[in-house]
Amino acid sequence: MQRYLLQRLALVVVVLLSVSLLVFVVTRLTPGDPARVMLGPRATDEQLAQLHVIYGLDQPIHVQYVSWLGHILRGDLGESIQLHRPVLTEVAERFRATLVLAFAAMLVAFSTGIGVGLAAALRANTLLDRLLMSVALLGISLPPFWVGLILIIAFSLILRWLPATGMLSATGDGGPPDLLAHLVLPTISLAVVPLAVIARLTRANVLEVVNQLYVRTARAKGLPPLVVVLGHIMRNTLIGTVTILGLEAGWLLAGTVYIETVFAWPGLGSMLVNAILQRDYPLVQGGVLLVAGVYVLINLATDILYLYLDPRLRYA
Amino acid sequence: MPTERRLTRRGFVKAVGAGVVLSAAAPALLAPTISAAPFRGATPAAAVPGTLVIGLVAEPTSLDPGQLTDINSMKLLGAMYDTLVRFKPNSFDLAPSLATSWDMSPDGLLYTFKLRPGVTFHDGTDFNADAVKFTYDRLLDPNDPYADTGPFPFAPGYYGSIAQTNVIDPLTVQFQLKRQDAGLLDAFTLNTGRIVSPQAVKTSRKDFAQNPVGTGPFKFVSWDHNVRITLTANPDYWDGAPALQQLIFRPLVDEQTRITEFLAGGVDVIFDVPPDNIDQVKSTPDAVFLEQPGPHVWWVTLNTKQPPFDNVLVRQAANYAVNKDALTQDILKGTATRAVGPIPPALTWAYTDQVTQYNYDPARATQLLQQSGVLMPINVTFWVTESGSGMQSPRTMGTAIQADLAAVGINAQIQTFEWGAYLNKYGAGLLDQAGMAELSWMFDSGDPAHMLPNNLYGPACSPKGFNGGCYQNPQVDQLLDSALQVYDRDQRGSIYKQIQRIVADDAPWIFVDNQIQNAATSTRVGGLQLHPSFYMTYLNQLTAT
Repeated sequence: MQRYLLQRLALVVVVLLSVSLLVFVVTRLTPGDPARVMLGPRATDEQLAQLHVIYGLDQPIHVQYVSWLGHILRGDLGESIQLHRPVLTEVAERFRATLVLAFAAMLVAFSTGIGVGLAAALRANTLLDRLLMSVALLGISLPPFWVGLILIIAFSLILRWLPATGMLSATGDGGPPDLLAHLVLPTISLAVVPLAVIARLTRANVLEVVNQLYVRTARAKGLPPLVVVLGHIMRNTLIGTVTILGLEAGWLLAGTVYIETVFAWPGLGSMLVNAILQRDYPLVQGGVLLVAGVYVLINLATDILYLYLDPRLRYA
Repeated sequence: MPTERRLTRRGFVKAVGAGVVLSAAAPALLAPTISAAPFRGATPAAAVPGTLVIGLVAEPTSLDPGQLTDINSMKLLGAMYDTLVRFKPNSFDLAPSLATSWDMSPDGLLYTFKLRPGVTFHDGTDFNADAVKFTYDRLLDPNDPYADTGPFPFAPGYYGSIAQTNVIDPLTVQFQLKRQDAGLLDAFTLNTGRIVSPQAVKTSRKDFAQNPVGTGPFKFVSWDHNVRITLTANPDYWDGAPALQQLIFRPLVDEQTRITEFLAGGVDVIFDVPPDNIDQVKSTPDAVFLEQPGPHVWWVTLNTKQPPFDNVLVRQAANYAVNKDALTQDILKGTATRAVGPIPPALTWAYTDQVTQYNYDPARATQLLQQSGVLMPINVTFWVTESGSGMQSPRTMGTAIQADLAAVGINAQIQTFEWGAYLNKYGAGLLDQAGMAELSWMFDSGDPAHMLPNNLYGPACSPKGFNGGCYQNPQVDQLLDSALQVYDRDQRGSIYKQIQRIVADDAPWIFVDNQIQNAATSTRVGGLQLHPSFYMTYLNQLTAT
């Protein structure tokens, strides 16, 4: 098992190195130039050349890459061209905002999704089941940004219960109640799709397990229904749920960009889009590397979780 | 099995169909409710007396005036810093600011400024001639010990004619010029040249961008990145203490989000209401809609070095073929007026409409095309950008222009680029790659001296400058040179008017429109003046009840 973990970790390093090379090459191959975006139609070739020297863009591309990689190994992601501040600071702040939102959405999606799926499965083919699954189908079909807009119209513009956009109010103290109020609508919008996916998947998994002999045995032994459900049914559906957890967590981290746009949420997605438009090479590279790193680590964690949940895999 | 409750396939299809129709119709159904909803409900987030919240179109990139290149970030600078000279409200006429008076040597190579006494920076240090010298040395001298607090991309373009800044006495400063530059005085009104506190730059160095210190009506308090920037009133402001206690800026990137937040009461002021939302804002009680024509021009560059647009008759035909009034009214919904030349009407002293005007006249266009002897139909490539600073609705406008041209037999093949890539393409020149390309410009210094020499000047033919269609007329080049050597504004104005007449006849561009700046405020806001320069000025007069 140790060997397996070491192998996986080595793979993580290889993946991240490849990502760094890929993102570096792709940003440089994209037509456009940070100096031109800055100067706009005021650019003269002289001014462009000056800025290229300042940002090191006059160097050959492999020299730029090696120098960037060297700085990363020393924990320095460089300075954002547009924002005039360290990439690490900006990315960390943005990542924290995305994490808050993604975590809240994940919490809602999983707790509610598993609950709904379980309820539907245990009452399979009843009206409740059909109702829940129809709602889930609707949930999968709705574009999250559209849900966000509808929620804003209903709860911010008409009812005026909740703030429309932002992470903190402009004039407030920025305390936890302020943050929570701002979290509600984007969390729901972001959670709808994964919630529905998880609910449907849980239902299918539970239905598969519920007629197995060991469940019948457990019931026949006279175990309380709750113990049967939690200890025998749910435990055996967890592998599937955890797989989805890994996938959906990655999706939530990278896929918040629409929701961030609709709700003016200061997260990583909107930062990356803007950095790409501005050709802010250091910021794009740092941001993508971070997202890739987190995605890879979540998948690693998922694989390790498999081992814990299913003893058979430990000896495979 | 409770089969009687089973959903039939047909029933399911019906239910789904109804669901789809309902969800598609929901926004439309809700829309009237929104505009009818009482504006600013029980708990308006921003309505703190004495505090004003302004919505920005993006997170500011820096608060160091020299570093900035984007109009959005520049919106904050007028609150915290001052310039040597500024424009009077509602005009491009100069008024004293940190400098109380100024004069030029007869040869135009020495500019001397008398400075306002008794002004202090927010950090308590004195404003004086040393501060002015420090500001401009930092911007212009690559060997200045604080040059590494940059880069300062716009400085060489605006202040490149300055050879040296000299301190004559604590309240007198003198700029020595390398060459005559009659546009320099107007350039001192620009954001790039706002005076910074030397003490603060020396202490913070690179961090000055995050900890700005100037002499303006508001002092910097905090920058909660991507959430808000908070400023507080400077009670000692030399031009009168601000009426507000607090000024807050919030970034709201998406334009619909910005409108929503404004309607929900989360911000008091937003700029650049999109054309499609103007009616909604105007019909909202308690919202005020403001407009101000500005120093903007939007055009289509024609490639004067390649057929068919190397022929002046074809260029004139293209100008007659495009229905510019339809563009400004139907696509831009009245947020722009028709342009007649390269200089916008807001620059009253330099603008003239006494030029050949190309009113919509497809018959005339067809006639000119026949006269030109060019083989019909004409096929050209037309570069269009997806978005971009000052570019309004570039794709829709490009498509409308394409349709107008097609009607007279000019088939423009549109190639679309994202703004960053577009600037690269255009900057390299149209060459043999394209016949037409969109572009726009903001004359924020109120002076053609900072624009025309880069866009219509022969030696600035791309990639040297931004004259993408490589328009070259020796007479225009000579007039542009002489305009920099004449210091009387009326005389300079008449040179620029002469240039407009020649350029209108040569038609190197399809002159399209001049944008009207707009803003929406809640009725609790007072004293907001939209300035023709599109800057935020005289912020000490802002009020919020």
